[in-house]
Amino acid sequence: MVRDLFMFAGFNENSQIVWFKIIYSKEPGSLSLITDFLEKEKAFIMFGHLDNITQKTGEYSVFTELNEDINPVDLAKKIKGLEAVSEVEYGISKYGMISSVDFPLNVIGVRGVMARALTIVDIIKTLNESVPHAEGLLTISGLKGGIHAAKYFKSIMPINDSNFASVLAELYRAVGWGILEIECDPKTYEGKIIVNDSFIADVYGASDQPVCAFMSGYFAGYLTDYFGKNISVREVSCKATGKKVCEHIISLAPSGASQEYQLRGDTR
Amino acid sequence: MIRQPNVILGNDELLVTMGRRGDILGFFYPRRDHAQHVEESLACIYTGEKLLWTNDNDWHSIQNYIEDTNIVSTKLYHDSGIRISILDLVHPDVPVLIRRFKVQSQKKISGKFFYYSNFNVGETSKKNSGFCDSAARLLVQYWQNYYIGIHSLPEFTEWQIGKAMDTIWWTNSKYDMEDGKLQRNKEDIGNINNAAGWDLELEANGSNEFVILIGAASSRNLLYKRMHELSKLPLESIFEKTREHWVMWLAKKKVLKMPGLEGYENLRQELFSAYNRSLLMLYLLQDREYGSFVAAPEFDSNFEKCGGYGFCWNRDTSEIVLALKHSGYPEYCDLFFKWSIRTQLPDGSWFQRYWLNGDIAPSWGNFDYSTQIDETGSTLYAMDIYYKILEGLKKVEFLDEVWVSVLRAAEYLMKRTKSGIHESCMDLWETYYGIFTYTNAAIYAGLMGASHLAEENGEDGMARRWKKRAEFIKQATVDRFWLQDGYFAKGILNDKLDKTIDASILSTYIPFGMLSPKDPVEKDMILFMIENIQKKLSVPINQGYGIKRYENDSYIDGNPWVVTTLWLSEAMFALALDLPSEKAMFAPTNDIPSGNENSYTETVNKLTREGIKYLKCALAGATSTGLLPEQMDKSTGKPAWAIPLGWSGSLMLDNILLLDKICTRKAGNSEES
Repeated sequence: MVRDLFMFAGFNENSQIVWFKIIYSKEPGSLSLITDFLEKEKAFIMFGHLDNITQKTGEYSVFTELNEDINPVDLAKKIKGLEAVSEVEYGISKYGMISSVDFPLNVIGVRGVMARALTIVDIIKTLNESVPHAEGLLTISGLKGGIHAAKYFKSIMPINDSNFASVLAELYRAVGWGILEIECDPKTYEGKIIVNDSFIADVYGASDQPVCAFMSGYFAGYLTDYFGKNISVREVSCKATGKKVCEHIISLAPSGASQEYQLRGDTR
Repeated sequence: MIRQPNVILGNDELLVTMGRRGDILGFFYPRRDHAQHVEESLACIYTGEKLLWTNDNDWHSIQNYIEDTNIVSTKLYHDSGIRISILDLVHPDVPVLIRRFKVQSQKKISGKFFYYSNFNVGETSKKNSGFCDSAARLLVQYWQNYYIGIHSLPEFTEWQIGKAMDTIWWTNSKYDMEDGKLQRNKEDIGNINNAAGWDLELEANGSNEFVILIGAASSRNLLYKRMHELSKLPLESIFEKTREHWVMWLAKKKVLKMPGLEGYENLRQELFSAYNRSLLMLYLLQDREYGSFVAAPEFDSNFEKCGGYGFCWNRDTSEIVLALKHSGYPEYCDLFFKWSIRTQLPDGSWFQRYWLNGDIAPSWGNFDYSTQIDETGSTLYAMDIYYKILEGLKKVEFLDEVWVSVLRAAEYLMKRTKSGIHESCMDLWETYYGIFTYTNAAIYAGLMGASHLAEENGEDGMARRWKKRAEFIKQATVDRFWLQDGYFAKGILNDKLDKTIDASILSTYIPFGMLSPKDPVEKDMILFMIENIQKKLSVPINQGYGIKRYENDSYIDGNPWVVTTLWLSEAMFALALDLPSEKAMFAPTNDIPSGNENSYTETVNKLTREGIKYLKCALAGATSTGLLPEQMDKSTGKPAWAIPLGWSGSLMLDNILLLDKICTRKAGNSEES
């Protein structure tokens, strides 16, 4: 997901962050040859990862910290000169704070972006403060994301009653949205989702009302697509209102003419 | 979100704007400015697997009007082999839009045809109420005394009334369509949407037709009756009646001849079409009861990117009614001037802009320093032009009717021009505060017009006084604003002369006639202005040049405008006509472009040729349906903003009529020789 992203190394005016993408032949010892060479050239390997592109070649993406007097262009040429290496690309992070090998980022099959939680929460806050039906709007926006996630997971792996919840939890953790505890009965479609450290509630600030409608919508979309039934998810307690965690209740969406009044406890 | 229409249609009570794929963007009833009842309204195909929304980019579209009518044909093609032909028309007598959808598919389909709408009845999403009368097969949404209804042939078999934007998303009609089956909820309140559904069973290359009627009424009872009565009539007869209505209305127009344009491939036909289209478009922008016009159908009611266009400006409307008068429709002047008398402010001026019923509209021109004095000048000028064409009793009655209004307006202009140039106010582009060439020219024309009307009314003293002031304004404008470079400065901004060249300085000649080509010096001034505007404001588009408003214009990317482009061409045509004052000066030529002529004829021909180039550029900036926008995109030349703009349409009429005169005069001379 963010394998080629290097972040927050800290600024050091005496060094530079340089990444190399090295295509090499997968002969025994060839990778060691590359790492040994980098060490010899005083290129400090901060992290790297391997891709087995084909049976015969591999791709090694590596972020290095170089002294300012080392010329990255020359170093790239030297790497290219190694016997096992066929191609080298490189890039320099001028400020050593954040750099990416590949652009754009990819998140569950489609383009992704990184943002501070506050960036998204500022949008949510502005909607809540200024737009009629903001909660509905956020629910529907989340719904779309959840439907996409379920469709994507179904397309790449078998999703079933034993793993649909853990896949969702894994996704939430990976993208930094929160830590989920999911209880959901696939027979009754009822249950709850506890969100620890919801990124919305965490940074929203104090609120009288639950603020995670976007997440409720996301859960609803995911579960609706998985179950093939309209699923209602409502946030009944929220960290932004002073609770310890956020809690979302799962149930089968009601049907019938007066469903909305029943749902809201309206007795008329 | 701001969406620009590609086509409009309607009748006296209803104005509908649509995108190029036949999606409804605006549904104005009972006035052109209020209320706009539709957020979204369009068809959607459920293929059995997924929804194909007809406004999606996957559909290729061809959209045009049925010739000489405001009936619209839209053809949609989808890569999956589905084709939809839509015929849209508004019944001439009742506010009902009739939409015939013919769906064809190359492959077998077992799915649904859906028609989805998100109405904001009364121009609000709040406190709406909707229901489906399954017995009458009528979907209705209402707010106060606005009722919008959907009926269909064949009758829809399923429906949904749901919440458009709510946490209970599964009632939302849009989402309800996803599984190809509607829940049949019969009523709801608040911010709601609706959908109607029919089975769509097509064999390969088979087709199916659905006729949808979207009607408006002021009461539930009237809506029911209207829809019921209309649904009994065969579509063919409604089509014929509607077509006839438009053809008959167009038959009143001044007939064009345009001889001698053979050298320009297709231009003659293009101009005939543009002439008819501008007339038909202007019909739809006018309020039949009040005589006012919206500048354009509103597309930015939240004023997100501009101040909105769905209001009446005296500046635009004065030009529009005169163009209509020249085209054979004088009654528009009559109604508009009645409206003007009623809407004039106590100080004798006119406000920046109005609702069509005459109420003052949202404005950033509420003070003396922010008002636009040119609008008062334009109105007076137009009144006088109209008076001049009237005859007999009508002439007398008109003067009697407008006289008090003329007196008040002229005195207002006198009050604000004591130094010979006007006091600080806002410019015609509604952007700058200061003293402007355009505004001075409009005031000049207004006072000259008022002077003439006073003279006709036996008020010689007033006539002299107003004329003297007009001449003073002309002298002061020339003395203070004419630059050695050969054009008028834009004006005085922040107490400094702003030498920016602004296309609106052409107004000193066209339309306000402050400069006359009959005077050799002024003729040269006009020619210099034209040359400088060409040189400094031309933007290459549409295999020619469009004219932007002024240097460093940044409003909506600083695109060239149709209005300014057509001002330039109109000035060229007018000059070509004004220059020859003696018959003998004409050289006998058959075609407009020719070589080896005397210098006089050469100038006339050059002006005409150049004018045609700009005219063609503006024509190319129209929508696929021939509607002229306010602006053309500076990169693509396509229509960019405010579609259709009445002012652009009126200038197109003026241009075509002038060119017709040039052609006719040349043909006459040719015959004589």
